[in-house]
Amino acid sequence: MTGGGKLAGAAAWSRRSVVAALSMAAAGGCAVQNMRDPISLWAMSYEGDYSPMLMPAFTRATGLPVEVQTLPWTAAHEKLLTARAGDSLPDVFMLPDGWVGEFALIGALAPVTDSALLTGLFPGVSAATGPNGQPYAVPWSVAPQVQYYRRDLLERAGYAAPPEDWDSWRRMGQRLKARAPDDYAFLMLLNWWDTLFTFAGQTGARPLRERDTRGNFRDPRFRDALAFYVSLFRERLAPPALSTEVQDPVAAFAQGYFAVYPYGPTLTLDLHRRAAELPPALWSTARMPGPEGPGQVSGIAASLCVSARSRRPAAAWALVRHLTSPASELTYQRLIGTLPARAAAWDTPQLRQPALAAFAEQMRDPTREPMIVEWERIRIEVQLIAERVVRGQLGIDAALVAMDDRVDRLLAKRRALVETGQLA
Amino acid sequence: MTRQERTAWGFVLPVLAIILFVFALPTVLALALSVTDYSIYALADWGALRFVGLGNFTDLLTTPLFWRALGNTALFALLGVPMAIGTSLAAALLLHDASVRWKPLWRVLLFAPYVTSVVATAVVWRFLLNTRFGLLNRALGWIGVPPVDWLGDPHASIPAILLFVTWKIFGYNMIVFTAALAAVPHDLMEAARLDGASRWTRFRHVTLPAIGPTLLLAAVMSVAGFLQIFAEPYVMTLGGPAQSTTTVLYFMFDEGFKWWNLGQASAVAFILFLMILALTLVQARIGRRYEWL
Amino acid sequence: MTRRRWRAIAVNAAVVAATLLTAAPLVWMVLVSFMPRGESSRFPPRLWPSRWSWENYHELLARRLIDGAWFDYRIVPALWNSLAVAALSTLLGLLLTVPAGYAFAKLRFRGRERLLQLLVAALVVPGQVAMLPLFLIFKELGLVNSYAGVILPSLAGIFAILFVRQAALSIPDEMLDAARLDGASERRIFVQIVLPLLAPITVTLALFMFLGSWNDFLWPLIVLADQHLYTLPVAVAAISREHAADGELMMAAAVVTTLPVLILFVPLQRYYISGLLGGSVKG
Repeated sequence: MTGGGKLAGAAAWSRRSVVAALSMAAAGGCAVQNMRDPISLWAMSYEGDYSPMLMPAFTRATGLPVEVQTLPWTAAHEKLLTARAGDSLPDVFMLPDGWVGEFALIGALAPVTDSALLTGLFPGVSAATGPNGQPYAVPWSVAPQVQYYRRDLLERAGYAAPPEDWDSWRRMGQRLKARAPDDYAFLMLLNWWDTLFTFAGQTGARPLRERDTRGNFRDPRFRDALAFYVSLFRERLAPPALSTEVQDPVAAFAQGYFAVYPYGPTLTLDLHRRAAELPPALWSTARMPGPEGPGQVSGIAASLCVSARSRRPAAAWALVRHLTSPASELTYQRLIGTLPARAAAWDTPQLRQPALAAFAEQMRDPTREPMIVEWERIRIEVQLIAERVVRGQLGIDAALVAMDDRVDRLLAKRRALVETGQLA
Repeated sequence: MTRQERTAWGFVLPVLAIILFVFALPTVLALALSVTDYSIYALADWGALRFVGLGNFTDLLTTPLFWRALGNTALFALLGVPMAIGTSLAAALLLHDASVRWKPLWRVLLFAPYVTSVVATAVVWRFLLNTRFGLLNRALGWIGVPPVDWLGDPHASIPAILLFVTWKIFGYNMIVFTAALAAVPHDLMEAARLDGASRWTRFRHVTLPAIGPTLLLAAVMSVAGFLQIFAEPYVMTLGGPAQSTTTVLYFMFDEGFKWWNLGQASAVAFILFLMILALTLVQARIGRRYEWL
Repeated sequence: MTRRRWRAIAVNAAVVAATLLTAAPLVWMVLVSFMPRGESSRFPPRLWPSRWSWENYHELLARRLIDGAWFDYRIVPALWNSLAVAALSTLLGLLLTVPAGYAFAKLRFRGRERLLQLLVAALVVPGQVAMLPLFLIFKELGLVNSYAGVILPSLAGIFAILFVRQAALSIPDEMLDAARLDGASERRIFVQIVLPLLAPITVTLALFMFLGSWNDFLWPLIVLADQHLYTLPVAVAAISREHAADGELMMAAAVVTTLPVLILFVPLQRYYISGLLGGSVKG
């Protein structure tokens, strides 16, 4: 009996081992096939250019090759929408937080189900959500706007650091301009909305009302922000230039063409790289001034998303996990200057540099932006109207009315859907 | 006959099928799209699509940017056609002169910009027109003109782009006018010269009437071309500064492919079509009048 | 006598000046592409490279290994893509339009005149009207982000058909009728008699199609999302919007885009120019 049982047992065991071996071989075969098709990752600008640096570690750990494609910011929105329409979105892609709601609405994103990815974030940073409130993106980096300033130029005008309220800040600009009439005090490119919306955010004005279906730009607080913004140009403290005209802002900053440059953290890296043109001792950072002291500022927070139609979701999420780990985020900070979204990364000595202190403070106090589909377009169109005010083609009050009209028009479809209850 | 017919259909059907598929069908669809409110919501959910009749068109009529785009496009055409036709005519006249040597060489070199890629040359010209480092402002500086903010000043941006466009396309009409000049009746010219007419009089009374129809046709066709300017603003100025170089086609591209408002964008396309249709009818009238259609 | 001499000198000088002015941007493009990085954005700007350097081309075209990762603008693949797309476009375009043009000129079939009128009328409609719905159609058919999607619209060659027809009209009917009496099939007539006669026109048309496809920008920009499939103008446009600061790099990219066209054009310009004059082609 025992002999037969052992024999049967042995046969069963060997059968099991054959099945196990076969399935392992099959899995191995599948793994080999997966290895041949790389995972695709799309990212904008610097993240796209430098992400290849982080891929060797990932490929070594998981055996999956990754292919990175860079999108220029100016064309990213249309490229992503076209890819969505043509069903050729990559497995993983980067989205600024303002676009997440939009892409979730059109079913391009897979919801974040692994809650581990959303823990341990820097206070003030939260995952961007879709229309139903579910998280659809994993925060990756935050880039709040601060001001970079030339210490030597400010010292010569009698300032150790930039003032923290608007009026004093403007007076500093006037003093700088008086000393160097051919140069400027600030650089605020006319086709980027970041500075105007920074000022607006600090006043506490909400840009939209009635469940984000109507514009609220006639709010006196926003009027103050717009008036302040325009006054800087009117007094010739900032050049009325577009990004296509100031082709090399860092060189211009080094040459003293302007003394204060509101920008995000990636400029830190550019400046370190070009230290020959502008030694680090000559510049520093500070929080942006608010009406009565520094206030809330929105930053371009970027997140990573997985495509809803990705053919390898497990591998895609693994890549997201790798890229949003504190170690990777620190690497990005070292390479391109964007700041990590993970709190753990901030405890390291790398991020205790004095130049980054302003960012750390600013990050704790972000504004909340409307997470609607039209938000990107609204910002761009409001900035266009602001540009016309700067160029003297429109008065401020007429501009505010125009902004509200335009935004109401843009939100017409959303209003219709909200009124019939189809949208939250 | 039937054998001929069979072969004919065999030859003609493939390309006609393609034309139907990529041209006729979409054009009809464009008309259909323009009466809906197709937007990004519809991309998400077909159920959100609504029929809006002429709603898109009335919306457009109250959109300031649309009127600005129309105005910019009209300005492009108004300034650009004389510039382009004038330059082509001048070049053709210059090359036509009997005393010029090595004509084929100059002809090729003057024509070369026409075959280059718009994107590549737009990049070169963006650099040439740079306010601080551009060659054009340097050359102006040599003759004492202060630097012009070509691509940053809303008033200078259209002339700046027109400089580029003229440079790029003048070769085409130069060739056309060269052929027309060659067709000017010699005996008439000889008679005029024997009569002692000056160069200018000869030009006005013999050459100009002879090439008149060609000039007119070229001008009308140029207008159609200028109405469809897109690549130059796209590469050089992103439609700015202050949307001063946003053309109808740029507006349509932004509306359609950047923001996915295909309903409105199709309405714009339809309006563009009507404008060009009107132009072509004018062209046909002129052609019939001068009897070469 | 002297007055005529002076006039001749003046006119020739004017022609030379005009040509120099026209060629100046292209010459400048080549010069800057060989300058070391940053030299053209110095104030005052230089006119001649301080030293001739290949570094811009190297950065543009080569796949560089920096700190263990590969960096690539992917211009060389875009070049090959453009070549493949243009060649395929031209080949298919010729296959489709040359027989059709001949048929409209010389073969009698019912509805010929009506169809011809429709084709001429279709010329009025600008291509961009069809672009948006065409994209939606291609999306449903899965042709977005593929070469088929890029090439297909360019095969609707109404101009090409009319162009070939214009040239084929001048083929003597007697030749064709004689061949028919001899018992040759229509296909044989086309291949053995008509094609050789249309050869110069075919070369011109091929040149138009190739250049048109090579320089095509708007539709590939819309249809191609994947960087691997980018054709050259799209790749250059992608770089140019972000790298406006790197003048030398952009000039190198412009040279790479323009050079093949000029190399193709200069020896074959005779065909191109005669084609412009011979037919009612818009180019």
